[in-house]
Amino acid sequence: MVSKRFVLKRLLLLVPVLFGVATFVFAILQLAPGDPARVIVGQRASADQVAQVRSELGLDDPILVQYGRFLVDAVQFDFGDSYQISKGTPVREVLADRLPVTIELALYGQAIGILLGVPLGVLSAVKQDTLTDHATRIGALTGLSVPIYWSGPLLILLFATYLGLFPTSGRIGSTTFLPDHWTLLGVELPLTGMVTVDTLLLGDLGAWFSAVHHLFLPAVTIGVYSMALISRMMRSSMLEVVRQDYMRTARAKGQGAKITVMKHGFRNALIPVVTVIGIQFGSLLGGAVLTETVFGIGGIGTMLVAAIGATDYPLVQGAVLTFALLFTLVNLGVDITYSYLDPRIQQ
Amino acid sequence: MAPEPADTAGRTTRRSALDSLRASPFLSQLRSNRLALFGIGIILGMVLVALYARFVYDFGALADSRLGGAVPSRAPPSWAGGTARTGAFGTDAAARDIFRRTLYGAWLALKFGTITVAASTALGVSLGIVAAYYGDATDNVIMRTMDVLLAFPSLLLALALVAIFGAGLWKAVIALTLVYTPRFARVVRGAALKVLEDEYIDATVALGATDPRVLVRHVLPNSLAPITVQSTLNFGLAIIDIAALSFLGFGAQAGTPSWGLMLARGVENGLFTGKWWMSFFPGLFLALTVLGFNLLGDGMRDALDPRMRDTVD
Repeated sequence: MVSKRFVLKRLLLLVPVLFGVATFVFAILQLAPGDPARVIVGQRASADQVAQVRSELGLDDPILVQYGRFLVDAVQFDFGDSYQISKGTPVREVLADRLPVTIELALYGQAIGILLGVPLGVLSAVKQDTLTDHATRIGALTGLSVPIYWSGPLLILLFATYLGLFPTSGRIGSTTFLPDHWTLLGVELPLTGMVTVDTLLLGDLGAWFSAVHHLFLPAVTIGVYSMALISRMMRSSMLEVVRQDYMRTARAKGQGAKITVMKHGFRNALIPVVTVIGIQFGSLLGGAVLTETVFGIGGIGTMLVAAIGATDYPLVQGAVLTFALLFTLVNLGVDITYSYLDPRIQQ
Repeated sequence: MAPEPADTAGRTTRRSALDSLRASPFLSQLRSNRLALFGIGIILGMVLVALYARFVYDFGALADSRLGGAVPSRAPPSWAGGTARTGAFGTDAAARDIFRRTLYGAWLALKFGTITVAASTALGVSLGIVAAYYGDATDNVIMRTMDVLLAFPSLLLALALVAIFGAGLWKAVIALTLVYTPRFARVVRGAALKVLEDEYIDATVALGATDPRVLVRHVLPNSLAPITVQSTLNFGLAIIDIAALSFLGFGAQAGTPSWGLMLARGVENGLFTGKWWMSFFPGLFLALTVLGFNLLGDGMRDALDPRMRDTVD
C-alpha cells in the first residue's frame, strides 16, 4: 500500500521545485533580448504605439509586481495571448490544441519502447554472455547512439520515399476532416485531439487506419530510443535479481528454472525499470520535439521551435512550463508506483 | 598505497592518485573489455579525421555557397551514379562537397563537445563538492537550484535557454553546459559525501588543513572515478544535443559544416526526392562518434562497479 503520508510528502517536495520552475519561466521573458511590445506592434510602429502596448502588457510595472502577477497567472495557466505564431489567440488555447498531439506521439513511442524493450532485456539476461546477449546489448547501445533526427529521415527515405509503404509526414490523410465533437447517445462531447482515439470515437475506421498509418514511423523513431534504454535496464536489473537468495531458495524447493525466472525474477526485476521509464520520459519529450520536426507533425514541440524563432515569448513560456510540468508529474507518478511496488521506499 | 616520496606537495598528490589508479583493477578491467576498446578505437579515429580536416581543409571554402556551376548541386556520390567531381559522399544543395564537410564536422563536434563537457564538469564538480563539504544552507541553496534545472527535460531546457541567449554554436554550448551541470553536481556531491565520512578527512582537518586544501587535495581526487564515467557518457550526449540544436536551427549558423545543420538541410532538400546522401553521411559520422563514447563510458562504468565485475570477464 502507498501511505497517504508518503504521497503528501512527495507533493510538498514538489512545491519549491515548481516555484523555481515558474521563476525560471518568468525570467525567460525578462532576460530575452528585445522588447516584447516591439515584437507585437512590428518594426515600423511608432514609439508611442510601443509605449502604449508596453503599458497595456504591464511591462512598465516594477519587476516584483510583474513577477507576482506572472505567478498568479501561471497557477491558472494563463500566459496571455500569442504575439506571432497564432497572433491574438490565448496561449492556453494554443497549448490545449497542440498538447494532445505530442502526448499521443510520446505514448505510442513509450508503448513501443516498453513492449519491445522489456522482453529484449529479459532475453538478454536469461541468455547472458551468449551471442543473443551480445547482439542485444550492442543493438541497444547503438539505439542510444543514433540521433532521432537521423533515424527518422532514414526511415522516411526507406519506407516512405523508396518503398512507399508509409506516408512521409502529417497525422492523417489530407482528405480526412475530423469534426470538432462526437456524439454519444445524443450528447455532444469534445474530442481528445489524439487522432487515433478520435477516429475510433467517431467510428470512422478508414480514418483510424490512416491515423495509425501516419503515426507508425514517428512512433517507431521515438520508440527505438526508449526501447534501447529499457532493455539495458531490464537486463541489468534481471541479472541482479537472479543472484538473490530467494531465487536460489525457489530453485532448491524444486521449482523449474523457467517458472522461477518468470515468477520471482521478472516481477522483482521490473521495479527498477519503472524508475527508468520515468527518468527517460524527459528524453522522450525532447525526442518528440525532434520527431515532430522531422515528420512535420504539428505538436507542441514544432510550435515551441517556431515560437523561439519568432520570439513569441508567451508561447515559449507556456510550452516550456507545460513540458516541465508534464515531466514532473510523470516522475511523481513513477515515484508513487515505485513505492507501491517496493513499500520499503516509503520509510 | 605506495609511500609518498618526499617531493613537492603538488606532485605527491598526482603521483599517489596515479599509483592508486594503476593498482586498482580499473584499467585491467577496461583493457579486457573489447567493446570499450572498440569505442576507444572509434574515438581515436574520429580525432584523427577531425585534426586532418581542421588542418588540411579551408573552412571558408567549405562554408561558401557561391561555388558557381563547375560541380552539379545535389549530385549523388561518385560511386552511386555521380561523376568523379561529385566526391565520395555527393554534393549538397549549394554544390558543396559533402565528404569534406562531413570530415570537418568531426572537428566541430569534438571541439564543441569537449568544451561543453569540460565546462559542465568543472562547474558541476565545484558546486557538488562545495555543497557536500559545507552542507546546511549552502548545500540546500545549491542542490535545490539543481533540482529546478533537473525538473526540465534536458533538450527543452536547452531550448528555453537558447530562447534567452539567441542562436549560435557558442550559445548552444553555454546552454548545454547549464543543462548538464546539475547531473555532475549530483554525482559529485554523492561521491564527496562518502569521502567526507572517512576518518582521514577528520585527521587532515585536525592537522590544520584549510577548506580549499581538503577539497582539492583529498575530496576531489577520491571522487574522480564517478566523475570520469559521467563525463565520458555525457560526451556522446553533448555531441548529440549540440547537433540537435543545430538541426532545429539554434546552433551552427548557415554554411557551417556542422553535422546537425547538414542533417537539417538534408531533410529539407533531399528527403522526399530520395537524395539520401545529403542526410546519410553526416548522420553516420555523428552516430559513430556517439557510439564510440557510449561504448567507452559503458565499459568504464562496468569496470568501476564491483557488482558487475564477475559478469564482465
